[in-house]
Amino acid sequence: MLANTFVYGFVNSIILVLVALGFNLTFGISGVANFAYGALYILGALLSWVFFNTIGLPYLLSVLCAVVLTAVAGELMYRFVLLRIRGMVLSEVIATFGIGLATLELFKYLGFIGFEYSLPVFVDTSIEIGQVVVDMQRVFIVIIGIAMAGFLWFFTHHTRTGLRFRGIAQEERTALSLGINSDRVAMLSVSFGAAYAAIAAIVILPLGTINVEQGYSVLIKALAVCIVGGLGSTGGLVLASFLIGYGQTITVTYLESHWVMLVPLIAILGILIFRPSGLFGEQKELEERI
Amino acid sequence: MSDFPLLGVRRLYKNFGGVQAIQDLNFELAEGELLGLIGPNGSGKTTAVNLITGFVKPAQGEILYRGRDITAWPPYKVVRLGIARTFQMVKPFYQLPAYKNMIIPLYSPRVKQMTGGKYGDRNAVALDLLEEVGFERDALVAYKAASALPQGYLKRLELAKAIALNPDLMILDELFSGLSLAEVASILPIIEKLRQQGKTIIMIEHRLKELFRIADRVIVLNFGQKIADGNVADVMESREVKNAYLGTE
Repeated sequence: MLANTFVYGFVNSIILVLVALGFNLTFGISGVANFAYGALYILGALLSWVFFNTIGLPYLLSVLCAVVLTAVAGELMYRFVLLRIRGMVLSEVIATFGIGLATLELFKYLGFIGFEYSLPVFVDTSIEIGQVVVDMQRVFIVIIGIAMAGFLWFFTHHTRTGLRFRGIAQEERTALSLGINSDRVAMLSVSFGAAYAAIAAIVILPLGTINVEQGYSVLIKALAVCIVGGLGSTGGLVLASFLIGYGQTITVTYLESHWVMLVPLIAILGILIFRPSGLFGEQKELEERI
Repeated sequence: MSDFPLLGVRRLYKNFGGVQAIQDLNFELAEGELLGLIGPNGSGKTTAVNLITGFVKPAQGEILYRGRDITAWPPYKVVRLGIARTFQMVKPFYQLPAYKNMIIPLYSPRVKQMTGGKYGDRNAVALDLLEEVGFERDALVAYKAASALPQGYLKRLELAKAIALNPDLMILDELFSGLSLAEVASILPIIEKLRQQGKTIIMIEHRLKELFRIADRVIVLNFGQKIADGNVADVMESREVKNAYLGTE
């Protein structure tokens, strides 16, 4: 049972890393808390389903098209809505939450409800890790989750665009004075965040079905991880994912599965009471208020 | 050589709510000139610079660069034309080492345009530029995070970033503020060298003694209006300037 908890806790933690990376990337660079993130996650999955099942494209091509189109959706959201309100935090939250809500409800209205809306697993087999049987999809989740976190680190530390991302994230005024178009970089960060949401959905959702309601729970999970870790901190995100991920697995194993959604909510509550800027957060003004 | 002055500011106005920050500001700047922009606190010096560099949009008026209207252009486009600025309150990329702070301007479209995309070894260029403004190469100070640097080095870093953009016009906003006499004395030769290279420079300064040693011309602002424009001796003899600075006739 202990080995089981360890292995599935690890997988669950990487799922949270995957789910939160895009949200964290967008917030860390542009300062925009994208509450439409859950809708972009479902959009990525549904686009992939439509390209594969309705249009009949090969699965890899369907996935590619879905990721690109979700990234474009993020770009359009920035260009036509966020560009005008960026920096006005309340307006950003209302606008993105409104877009997310409308999109998810539209999916329901269009009839994307049912067991037929599911994505195929990459390889239908399983392996044994220390006497614990794990299906290959979960192994892929771990590999892709680590690869995506690694890619993000490499991108932000060793590429020209990544350096611009970090410049805007640290001091937008200084970056502007050095010739960086901050709106373009912010738009790219929303777009990248959306692409990450789509990839996360395509990797994770083959474990079940595409349920539109998951758009809301994904947003809560991403928020919980980012708030507990400290908004914008990648190290904090990984640590918070493991705390909440193992917390959820232990809850399911030793308590009851219906308590599982309480874990991220309790984590948010606890961190907001004792350390409101998060484990690795840098918003000192929040600390000074308690 | 262009027929137009390097910079032309015409009938520029800016208000913040009911406060008239800049009123009917007019001046031209020739290539190679070093202009001192002075005035009491709150006289509109930094607002004027923010208007020229696109950080603030004017209510009225025109800003011309080599005869081209750049009024209300965004800052990143103004930089690409060859206008670089520093800030009074320096805000480097604190989490990056000093030399990495230099890499961002070295990657900029302006530098790409000037070098034809052949950047060379950026780390080496960054370290050379930092050495030029007084970062001792042997002390490894260039490798320290900007957050660990004292004010003197932060000001030098700010200057080095502007130099890295290879601008034609540099606007230095209170570069000397917060520096010791010795630090100012060590930066003055760097500015002299920039002039010898043909750079046009606008310096906002409160350290008038040091500014007057190097300025060709001085403009004095008070309550957003230009009250004097000319060489140092004439301007400081002006009755209005004495009034503005000393409050006496």
